[in-house]
Amino acid sequence: MEEASPYGDYKFVGRLDHVKTFNQAIKSICFNDYGMLQVSDDGLRITVEQGKSIQATLFMPPGAFKEFYVQDFQSFGLKMNVLSECLNLFGSADCSLRMMYRDQGDPLKIILYPYDDEDVSTECAIKTMDCEEPIDYDMNLKGSDLNVIFVRGPNLSKVFHELEKSAEEFEFVTSPDRPHFKITTVGIMQAVFSVEVAKTSPMMMMFNCKQTVVARYKSQQIRLTNKAMQVATKVAIKTNSIGLLELHLVMQGEGQEEIFVQFYIIPLLNAD
Amino acid sequence: MKFRALMQDAMYMREFQAIVATLAKLAKDCVMILGDRQMHFIVNEDQSSAASPLVWATIAADEYFPEYRMEAARSDQEYIVLSMSSANLGRALSVLRGGGVSMCKLKLQRIQFPCISVIASVQSSSSSEAREVVHDVPVTIIPASDWAAYVVPRVPNSQLALSLPSLRLLRSLIDKLKNISPSLEFQASFDGELSVIAASEMSTVTSRFQKLLPRSLTVSQQEASCSVDSRKASAFFGALQLSNEELTIGIDQEHSIHLQIDVRQDVVLHSILPAVCV
Repeated sequence: MEEASPYGDYKFVGRLDHVKTFNQAIKSICFNDYGMLQVSDDGLRITVEQGKSIQATLFMPPGAFKEFYVQDFQSFGLKMNVLSECLNLFGSADCSLRMMYRDQGDPLKIILYPYDDEDVSTECAIKTMDCEEPIDYDMNLKGSDLNVIFVRGPNLSKVFHELEKSAEEFEFVTSPDRPHFKITTVGIMQAVFSVEVAKTSPMMMMFNCKQTVVARYKSQQIRLTNKAMQVATKVAIKTNSIGLLELHLVMQGEGQEEIFVQFYIIPLLNAD
Repeated sequence: MKFRALMQDAMYMREFQAIVATLAKLAKDCVMILGDRQMHFIVNEDQSSAASPLVWATIAADEYFPEYRMEAARSDQEYIVLSMSSANLGRALSVLRGGGVSMCKLKLQRIQFPCISVIASVQSSSSSEAREVVHDVPVTIIPASDWAAYVVPRVPNSQLALSLPSLRLLRSLIDKLKNISPSLEFQASFDGELSVIAASEMSTVTSRFQKLLPRSLTVSQQEASCSVDSRKASAFFGALQLSNEELTIGIDQEHSIHLQIDVRQDVVLHSILPAVCV
């Protein structure tokens, strides 16, 4: 006879002490209606895609949770704005949170417990649905020929903030030679504005580029990373030889636990 | 027809101002019923917007006014009934919000047109002499023949009433819940639990408030529930200007929800949210 699980018939239970960082991370990837949630022994992933050119994934390893239990591999789709709305119900008041999921077709339950008042709680039952597997970009970013740069989040956020808002395209240059790391914006009037960061700059935490990669991206897509960038402590910029870009952002919670948000952005085809 | 009243206590003046400011946020016009020992304000469900709920305040004259005199138009009448712009009255009283007001008089008088004059004596920091700030708020005198349309609403017979010690969380929750669903279901149980439920196609959000004190009621019932318009509920909570935090929620099963804030023993703000079909 099997022993009764303390989780009853729940296949996924996760508990967080503070909702804030999770909430910020969810908000930062809410650029499309639907998201896909996957949970396994590795942790929790929530993926949002827009077309076939940008993908964002929130990743929380089991260590980011106060309590984490999962049976097998669970995956389902849900509406991102509904999830975000639920996490935001108590506004800025700090809450602890419990997530529970039973089985296919059942809702994802999120219970919020505000610290201000222990006699108050809110339970959200969010409808789940079937969905397709997200595209796996990660496999293209394995291997030794990648350009990888680690920078401090607040610095990078400031650099992006200074870039021209009306620009249509961003060009990223990563290179073992000068200028090491350069972002150029190309505006409507073909006005060009660029920022260069030398590998000796204090905002660089690690610099490992083996080849020169020049690639252009839609600025609209780069801007989707803004919200995440604003709260990130560290950012890894990875690109392969054809310019597939990964921005890997680290967010730190109150208890020093880390939450990761990855953006994969497909480069524009070379115009010239 | 005569009416005059005087306030002197700074805290009472601020409370009175806050009550009127709350009403002013809810509707354009308000009705003021001056009785022998009581003053009532009523704002009706605003015709122009479906979002405004019925709210009224009852103030025992001797709580706020050391001097209070009311003489009706005829000796056999009990009231003076006036209608006015709630925003105008709110603005006239806004002087009471700041400090330095030593006295405020309310007076019904006729200066070309009938009005309630709000006369505040304000002590200024630069001079020892008090300034007198006067606002004349135009009013319409409602003739006794029309009074039937302006009666003070009756508190509904709630089967269950719970008192909530702090409004803050409920208030911000309702503001968020109105975006989820057009109606909110309130469920109360006799053991002191209140649930507010918002359901949409994509989610169901249930907020629970536990360990609330049931108010003693003649009818004892274990549970009661009622669904109301979430914009109306949100409008009431959004308008509240009182720093008072305690709220009593009474539920008349599938009929209405009665919200009551006891500012003082005999100064009470009420609202009724009628049931909606879900």
